[in-house]
Amino acid sequence: EEALLPAPQNISILSTNMKHFLTWSPVIIQGETVRYSVEFQGEYERVYANESWIPISECSLITATACNITEDISATVAYNLRVRADLGARRSEWGTLKGFFNRNTTSLTPPVMKVIADGYHLLLELEDMGPAFQFRVLYWKKGQERRMQQKVVKEVSSVVHLDTMEAGAEYCVKAQSYVEDINRSSSFSQTQCVRAQGDTSMWL
Amino acid sequence: TAGNKILHFGACRVSVSMAEIRVGFTAIKANIQARDPIRTLSILSYPHSLHKVNSSDRCCITHHLFNFYVDKVFKHCKTEDSYVNRKISSIANSFLSMKRKLEQCHEQNRCECGRESTEKFKQILANYEGLNVTSAAMKSLGELDILLDWME
Repeated sequence: EEALLPAPQNISILSTNMKHFLTWSPVIIQGETVRYSVEFQGEYERVYANESWIPISECSLITATACNITEDISATVAYNLRVRADLGARRSEWGTLKGFFNRNTTSLTPPVMKVIADGYHLLLELEDMGPAFQFRVLYWKKGQERRMQQKVVKEVSSVVHLDTMEAGAEYCVKAQSYVEDINRSSSFSQTQCVRAQGDTSMWL
Repeated sequence: TAGNKILHFGACRVSVSMAEIRVGFTAIKANIQARDPIRTLSILSYPHSLHKVNSSDRCCITHHLFNFYVDKVFKHCKTEDSYVNRKISSIANSFLSMKRKLEQCHEQNRCECGRESTEKFKQILANYEGLNVTSAAMKSLGELDILLDWME
């Protein structure tokens, strides 16, 4: 009887900014192409639906050793994930992720941003990190950190107008991303400073 | 994001990922509603619309309805279509997450149940039990937008 195919090992999750990937080590069979299939089980399935598993069609019989599970991990509950190998008629046991995965453990990075001085206007361009993201922006006139102002940006559609600057003054900005579904924020970005047009002596 | 909604039920505040649920439901709505042959009957809106529920009873009715969908409806909605099943799982797990949050309100007695919500929910159960379980479950799932609209 043909030897059972070994189950995939080193199954783990890579999750950054609410994008979640299941990865595993390849099952090596010399000169052969092994294929993999992935299934998930949410807390609902575990508690209310007889511990049923749901296949991810985009990751059925694939040769890659990674699967984008973002679309299926769409609630802030604990998920189980598993993957098995297939080679012709041979099939492995399921390899299951050790422990649950909950999207509230995703790692959040500060947004990529660009601060623009457009004449006297302090403008900000923010990276679109997806519909789940909001941004908290802090900005201040250099040297007046105690008078720091805040703006919450809920949707990144265009350039954000932060302030009208004093001529020749330097203004600084930093931002963090926030995901309401999991109620967590990233660290702050690097601070970026720009100078308004004009001559500061105008204000003396 | 237009994603989350903070539902205020008297003293209780519940953050609800409405956008995610709507995306999931919209993706399968036509498929689910096509499986419901009796369009003239309603589980949630017969004889009276949810909109007639008193605001003081909203929290209790919402709590009852989350339990109803999680405990009774979703498990009877399995289809032959893997994509539909994935979306139902997505909605069911979101409902479970919200049900947990509302339970906290209920336990802290900030989600009172008046006579009206009790009566309304009895009517919904009667409508549900008046059909065979698969038809009732599919019809209830097909009416999810009625619930979502009312919640928003």
